[in-house]
Amino acid sequence: MTDSAGPTAQRLLGSGADTGNSRRPVGLLLVAVPVVLMAWLIIWPIISAVLRTVWRADDTGAHRFDLSTYAFFFSDQYSLNNLGITLWTTGMCAALLLMICLPIAIYLRFATGRLAGYVQALAIFPMFVPSIILAFAFIRVLGPNGMVDILLNAVGLPKIDTPYLTPWGPVIGLVWDNIPLTVLILLAGLGAVPNAAIDAARDVGAQKWQVFWYIILPRIGNSILVAISFSVLGIFSAFTLPYVLGPASPEMMGPFMQRTFRDLYDPLNALTQAVITFGFCIVFGLFYVRSVARNQGK
Amino acid sequence: MTGVAISAAPKARAVRKPLDKTGLLFAVLLSVAIIFPLLVVITWSFTEIWRYPNVLPQQFGFRFWDQTMGRADVWAALTLSLRLSFMVTLLSAAICLPAAYAFARMDFPGRSLLFFSFLAGHAFPKFGLLIAIAAIFLQLGLIGTFWGVVIIQLVGTLLFMIWIPVAAFSAVDRRMEEAARDVGAGPLRVFWSVTLPQAGPTIAAAVLLTFVGTFYEVEGAWLIGAPGIRTMPVLMISFINNQIVVQYGAVLSVILWVPSFVALIFARKVINGGSFARGFGG
Repeated sequence: MTDSAGPTAQRLLGSGADTGNSRRPVGLLLVAVPVVLMAWLIIWPIISAVLRTVWRADDTGAHRFDLSTYAFFFSDQYSLNNLGITLWTTGMCAALLLMICLPIAIYLRFATGRLAGYVQALAIFPMFVPSIILAFAFIRVLGPNGMVDILLNAVGLPKIDTPYLTPWGPVIGLVWDNIPLTVLILLAGLGAVPNAAIDAARDVGAQKWQVFWYIILPRIGNSILVAISFSVLGIFSAFTLPYVLGPASPEMMGPFMQRTFRDLYDPLNALTQAVITFGFCIVFGLFYVRSVARNQGK
Repeated sequence: MTGVAISAAPKARAVRKPLDKTGLLFAVLLSVAIIFPLLVVITWSFTEIWRYPNVLPQQFGFRFWDQTMGRADVWAALTLSLRLSFMVTLLSAAICLPAAYAFARMDFPGRSLLFFSFLAGHAFPKFGLLIAIAAIFLQLGLIGTFWGVVIIQLVGTLLFMIWIPVAAFSAVDRRMEEAARDVGAGPLRVFWSVTLPQAGPTIAAAVLLTFVGTFYEVEGAWLIGAPGIRTMPVLMISFINNQIVVQYGAVLSVILWVPSFVALIFARKVINGGSFARGFGG
């Protein structure tokens, strides 16, 4: 299925447009509204957030360069703990996602038949489960006296240490939530690995792990990085799952920013935290955008 | 784990394989991890009494469906969510579909740059971006208002509502349009009778995904809308946090899942089509 995807996407902007007589500004008019909306509500807020946190009015009302909110963030132990738990959660999720999704994607790339279809359907399925329902299901299954406790108790085993309201709660929820897109992105990458290369390697006696290590892995490196970038961007500032499933302290950057903004009425420090999350994700963001643009522009 | 899969590569040989052990393992593990939790929720919604440590509920029934549906806050949230989702989807379609057509079919200065600039929203962690937008809404007095939530959710739909339809318009067979024009059809007639029927299904899927995505959008609604605007997912969060009757949350989950299920049925082709994953950079 992945092989057939190429042409459509590649034609996106390639030769799609009429040349010559249709080079006219009416196109600009048609795209104007979304472009203005995007500039006003994506580009401008980012610039504004950076400006407002570094170029501030002092007591006399004069604006000057001032990094004191950043200095506060990086000297405040509570803020640093929140940043630490966010980094830990993001790293843990990325590692677990790869460990879970790479085998599934490789299996789906080469397997055929109804069982493979079922596995693929299941792997995509979480995309259609809103994270708030997932959070509720998580509590009913892994929470205190949840379904797992019930089943363990039924066979005479002790209860589990519930991950609900611990740092593992958001990790499990976020991994579950991110499985579909990670599998899809990896699968799209694996579609580019030619069967011929694998057959050739096997013909000369390569072991299965050798085929994986020398033939498959080098060809899907880019897809792996894209998948990781995408999930890092989503997980680093995730809000709903950490808010519902995670501990109250330390909290991840998402709930932390929300609380600073809404409960403490402190937009300035919330913006500082937002800019700091931008800073930590900028590499992944740029890489991700570059990859998507390259894929589309081909 | 990868081994068995690789040896099953050529389709002809796969037929003779007696048992797909790797597949079976994945199928069982994924069923437990993905289907089982949802079954527990569905069971809870039809439960009247389920005391720990019984493995099955002592009493099934619809009592909590009546009670949940009888709650005024549930109805208020449901109608609000539907109003929001319709408004956002309508506005999004109205501004994005013409833009998608222009990107796919017309040439104008800055076309590529503008097309890819919609990616900007995906280059930053989403909630950080929402905080930055909220700071601007604060100055404009849009916090806690219906239109504030509409605008923030509208921004979230731009990328897909442009990129997926652009792919759809680009995939239309140009020769058929030219043929129609050759036999004397006007540009509108060509668009209506040739272009739209071919691009239609993909565009419909994009619209459906936009509607469903908006319906479940939590973060913008929570950050911008609270406390005045309580959508279904936001109500669900308070049900979870306040630990009121388990069944309310379970019933609400099942109700909340209906739009997603419809999307699952209709949008599956688009998602499995591969260009979807490519849209994410795959």
